[in-house]
Amino acid sequence: MRQKGWKAGEAPAGCKQPAACPLSQVQAGTSVRIKRLTLPPDVLRRLREIGFCEERKIRLLMRQNSVICEVCNTRFGLNRKLAEAILVEPLPVPVRDQAA
Amino acid sequence: MSDAGSAPAAAEGRRRVAVALAGNPNTGKTTVFNLLTGLRAKVGNYPGVTVERKEGRLRGASGRTEVTVLDLPGAYSLSPRSQDERITRDALLGRLAGVPSPGVVVVVLDASNLQRHLYFATQVIELGYPTVVALNMMDVAEAHGHRIDAGQLARELGVEVVPLVASAGRGILRLRSSILRQVDRPTVGSWRPVLMDLPAPFREETERLAGAIGLSGAGARGQREIHAFCLLMEGSEIESADPGRERGAGDALGEARRRIEARGLDWRALPVESRYRRIGGICERSVTETIPPRETLSDRIDRWLTHRYWGIALLAIVLGIMFQAIFVFAHWPMELLDGWVGAAGNWLAQRMPAGDLRSLLVDGVVAGVGAVVVFLPQICLLFLFIGLLEETGYMARAAFIMDRWMMKLGLHGRSFIPLLGSFACAIPGIMATRTIESWREKLAVILVAPLMSCSARLPVYTLLIAACLPERRWLGAVRLSGLALLGMYGLGVGSAMFMAWLFRRTILRGDPPLLVMELPPYKRPALGMVLRHVGERAGMFLRQAGTLILAFNMVLWFLATYPRSEERAAHYGAAREQLQRERAGRDAHGLDAPGWAERWAALEREEAAERLERSFAGRLGRCLEPAIAPLGMDWKIGIGIVSSFAARELFVSTMSTVYRVGAAEGSEPVRLAEHFRRQTREDGSPVYTARRGLTLMVFYVFALQCASTVAVVRRETHSWRWPLFQWAYMGALAWGFAWITWHGTRWLGMS
Repeated sequence: MRQKGWKAGEAPAGCKQPAACPLSQVQAGTSVRIKRLTLPPDVLRRLREIGFCEERKIRLLMRQNSVICEVCNTRFGLNRKLAEAILVEPLPVPVRDQAA
Repeated sequence: MSDAGSAPAAAEGRRRVAVALAGNPNTGKTTVFNLLTGLRAKVGNYPGVTVERKEGRLRGASGRTEVTVLDLPGAYSLSPRSQDERITRDALLGRLAGVPSPGVVVVVLDASNLQRHLYFATQVIELGYPTVVALNMMDVAEAHGHRIDAGQLARELGVEVVPLVASAGRGILRLRSSILRQVDRPTVGSWRPVLMDLPAPFREETERLAGAIGLSGAGARGQREIHAFCLLMEGSEIESADPGRERGAGDALGEARRRIEARGLDWRALPVESRYRRIGGICERSVTETIPPRETLSDRIDRWLTHRYWGIALLAIVLGIMFQAIFVFAHWPMELLDGWVGAAGNWLAQRMPAGDLRSLLVDGVVAGVGAVVVFLPQICLLFLFIGLLEETGYMARAAFIMDRWMMKLGLHGRSFIPLLGSFACAIPGIMATRTIESWREKLAVILVAPLMSCSARLPVYTLLIAACLPERRWLGAVRLSGLALLGMYGLGVGSAMFMAWLFRRTILRGDPPLLVMELPPYKRPALGMVLRHVGERAGMFLRQAGTLILAFNMVLWFLATYPRSEERAAHYGAAREQLQRERAGRDAHGLDAPGWAERWAALEREEAAERLERSFAGRLGRCLEPAIAPLGMDWKIGIGIVSSFAARELFVSTMSTVYRVGAAEGSEPVRLAEHFRRQTREDGSPVYTARRGLTLMVFYVFALQCASTVAVVRRETHSWRWPLFQWAYMGALAWGFAWITWHGTRWLGMS
């Protein structure tokens, strides 16, 4: 089965608003910018503390049931439920500099 | 404040300074700790919790100052989300009973993850202690194209920054002298707390809060404020569970947050964002990127190891190899140890006069303790494998792969690590649950962790397999013994999964967990560290064998030997004499004595059996017999089961004591499994049939026979309720499944 997903800069197939697509629907290899986190407060705080802040650029490395993404050079594994709660916006070109 | 942690040591006039070693998880903090302290680390626990406390003396400190290094658990921030992190925060705030407030703080950072790790590091620097930043993994950062200007970073942070490659031991001398400089001439960093960047209401509320809560502990105003600030931005869930929380703090916090919100400010997001903004600036000025980010080897490996299907298959193979290896590779050293134990017993037996003392030393001490010590190689191998998996970074991937399946049980992938660790021993497994954030999930994992077959069951399984199952091989390599062992482990895993599922749907219901897990880059394991860990564990096992098991064996020997009946001894003495006369008479006439040897042996067996039956242990076993008779077991096995409730591996030594004490004196020491095979029931049929062996093994899979586990669960759950519940439910499962096995195997046609 082909993975449903979208390429950088294109509108995602499964997303109504291209500017806020769940991380769980992003194509692996894409760089995205975090727009909104819809999570309970204490999980939210921890996510922000480890680098998942709003407006932070992250890169999705792998997407299966869970996802692996890179935030400031560290790989994090997130399960599907969490990835669904992270709303992101695609970045037109692959981000070269993660430290920005 | 700078001398908060340095107090003059009473008699010698020596100064004592505590150095706290803090940092994110996966920074190589423990390697740095080992390099700083050498081999003199002391491992213990923090009061009241089972979080491991490691401390050691700093090597190379001058004679007049005693510098202790304390390795704190890894933390992502000063607002804790787990017990580990709470310990770190409280130790850094000097609020932990029995732990001196730090005189110097060393923050270990992963240079290749500078931005993220500076989050915690800047929080720690803000506390205002004399601080040294240890910039570890400089080689990795270079390889990834991050060129870090340590001097610039030091200026930005206002503290000393020491670049390190701890895995190669580079930079450690500089770190040590930097620490010693801070000990002698403490300088407090000029880092401006991030609070200064925030809008005024934050500062006002923090100041007010610091006063209102009246935070105890270290007096410095700065620390109180930072603490208040951390409390302010903490989430809500953890607060009620925080035992260090002062009364009334909750109300004051709620009000402060409401007032901030009323000004249209977000107390959750702003502090984090503000800190990251400043860190972003620091990184821009002190880091030069030389190569654009590209796919690393770790990424390529990950594509396979975390693959939806390949990942699972590889994990299964890794675990399969691990268990097969434990059984096969350990065989040779175990034989060797076994030989030594036998030789030691013989040596002692030949040099001592016959009597109770010889019996105690040979049958009780040497045979009993030896029977357990023999399993040391297997235990070492198990810890070696688990240590290697942790060290290479594969363990995190295993947890990640398993998350999908663990979710179905209502657990998240991180619970996989405590459960896997429980294969070695439920105690470190249960201790590893401290990283699980949700209390209900943590409890569910604690309740099922002892169902994973621990290394203490291994001796029992090994012995029973050797004694009861025929040796068969398929395709040259697959052995029946290995399969049976795998089956027992599988049964334990399956039931642990089922029980976890059941608990999460009944008594421990909770929201499906969210997983976020750091996947550290793969690295070649530091073999020295793994071996050191294995050594520590082996030492613990031997200490236990030398104390608890030794004491238990002596008690058992006593129970199995006394009371002695003079009358019965005289009766058997007479019977023996008669047999000897008979033999002498036949010999004198040059006649053979057909069947004489058999009759002699039968008499000896009869006497031994009767002696054991009349002993205290025999009576205890008899009391238990009605309960285990439906499982096809006799009172002798009952003695073994009773003793196993102190610790499972005692089954092996107990049975060896029971049968040896029962066996006629002067008989050759035989290998235990062979001895088992020779045991017969009253009707002459062998005791240890395949069917009885299986039943007994199944019983051992389930029963919670380990006093130490019960004690640890009591400590972790702060009540007797859960350990008792656990003991009872596992006991019920053990009896039920053993019954099914005993009757099911007969139904299947086994005798």
